[in-house]
Amino acid sequence: MNSPPEPTKLAQLQARFAAVLRGPGHDGAMADPALVAGIVDDGLAPAARLNLYRNNTRAMFVGALERSYPVIARRVGDGYFQRLAAEYRAAHPSRSCDLHWIGENFPAWLAVRLAGTEYAWLADLARLEWACEEVLVAADAPAIAIEALGGVAQEMLPEMRLRLQPALRCVNSAYPVWSVWRANQPDQPGDAIAADRGAEHVIVARADDRPVLHLRPEAEVRFVAALSSGAGLQQALENSCLPVEDLPQALAWLFQHGLVVALEAPAPGGEE
Amino acid sequence: MNRDVRAAGRGPVGPIPAVAGIGLRSAHHESLVRERPAVGWIEAHTENYFHDGGPQLLALERARALYPLSLHGVGLGLGSAAPIDREHLSRVKRAIDRFEPALVSEHACWGQSGGEHFNDLLPLPQTEEALRHLASRVREVQDVLGRQILIENLSSYLAFTSSQLTEWEFLSALVEESGCGLLLDVNNIFVNSVNLGLDPLQYIAGVPPAAVQEIHLAGHLRKQVGDRVLLIDDHGSTVCPEVWRLYETALRRFGPVPTLIEWDTDVPALEVLVAEAALADQYLERARELAA
Repeated sequence: MNSPPEPTKLAQLQARFAAVLRGPGHDGAMADPALVAGIVDDGLAPAARLNLYRNNTRAMFVGALERSYPVIARRVGDGYFQRLAAEYRAAHPSRSCDLHWIGENFPAWLAVRLAGTEYAWLADLARLEWACEEVLVAADAPAIAIEALGGVAQEMLPEMRLRLQPALRCVNSAYPVWSVWRANQPDQPGDAIAADRGAEHVIVARADDRPVLHLRPEAEVRFVAALSSGAGLQQALENSCLPVEDLPQALAWLFQHGLVVALEAPAPGGEE
Repeated sequence: MNRDVRAAGRGPVGPIPAVAGIGLRSAHHESLVRERPAVGWIEAHTENYFHDGGPQLLALERARALYPLSLHGVGLGLGSAAPIDREHLSRVKRAIDRFEPALVSEHACWGQSGGEHFNDLLPLPQTEEALRHLASRVREVQDVLGRQILIENLSSYLAFTSSQLTEWEFLSALVEESGCGLLLDVNNIFVNSVNLGLDPLQYIAGVPPAAVQEIHLAGHLRKQVGDRVLLIDDHGSTVCPEVWRLYETALRRFGPVPTLIEWDTDVPALEVLVAEAALADQYLERARELAA
């Protein structure tokens, strides 16, 4: 009902204006003549006025991306980060009225953009930083104690699902992302960590209103990831290759950190 | 749920008094609650409190328990030709239900085209077409929210040749057609007077007094562009003397109105904002005496 056959004058004007804002142009670039002709020229060129908006929207985008990915920005330096941000914006322009979410596709985009280069590992670092962003704004939920498991009948245990904190993310990486993240916090000197130092696997949770990064064994992180995607205990063990003898310790760790919010018996009627 | 926002103590819910308030910025979340400065109210950017949980929500909840609140949106882009983002609007509604603000505001601007959001406050031509469009959007939002909203005048770096109305005629007609109130940003009037050659006194004289329910004050930046100076509305410094004078004029016309000190770039210590608010309060006090 809101799509008339011809775009309205207002829609046309906004489409032209948008093309300028989107443009990779620099201050000397020629702006759309029809748009320029529609802007009052009182001695200061309309194109110069448009440039202010173009530069503003670009700065706004880059600034928001940098707030989501401060470690990457620090690690690669301002110039390279600006270039990456411009390319990323061309591929993934903002689709939300809320600036907070513009970095959502950055990890996946980086993975493709940097594949095969010496910076490929930055995509994993980006996944870790985005995990921190998500954890920071996820819902609050009260944790349950490990004693709750005692009330579950033995034969129900393999199918039992553990509902985990909304503020919890798992990042498995072949690179030392945890070490790089820690070394590049604002209060740290930013030591260079060699990317070939080895794999690190991280569970990101929230404590004291900040993201907290737990370095954990690979299989355990995969196990927690499986649980948080809804797998039952048995299924999560199989998916993650966590040795069954490590299960008690992995569960104890989750409960100790207040990361379990509910136990759910499998829904009758099988898989959801 | 020990941190359920709804479970918290609720601050005052009545109308915001005609005194000075300050914009709540995350840099001040802790100091505001600790120091409880004598400001009349606070204003928060609605979009910063869209989340499901976490420290940001908790901080506003704590501040809200101490001060009356205004929620100021920057994301709806009501003048965009594209349809309103209903998901965004429902999040605005959720924030309103959570925090019970006394005032809710947005801007006379557009922000998206062709599916891309520019996350900026972009200028509308002051045409009959834009007016009808914006008024219908404002009505749509007011219907969904079940309340009146205030619309803020924009700072702008350009004017369109197609404009048939002055800014103040446009705002007055918007009030008439949509039933919205106005959030008059006096700094934006001054910025536009320099950038676009408007007469700021005529602007203030042309706005319907009964509609003005809030005033914004902020600092701006002077930028040399070619051989001209343009004012950039960066909210990054103290209010300049010309804007204070204009504010005094505005208060003479509108009477004492809740007035906000906005500061978004290079946010200083809380005391600096509180001192600016105290200055605004002196103007408001004088306006009250004149009105008496």
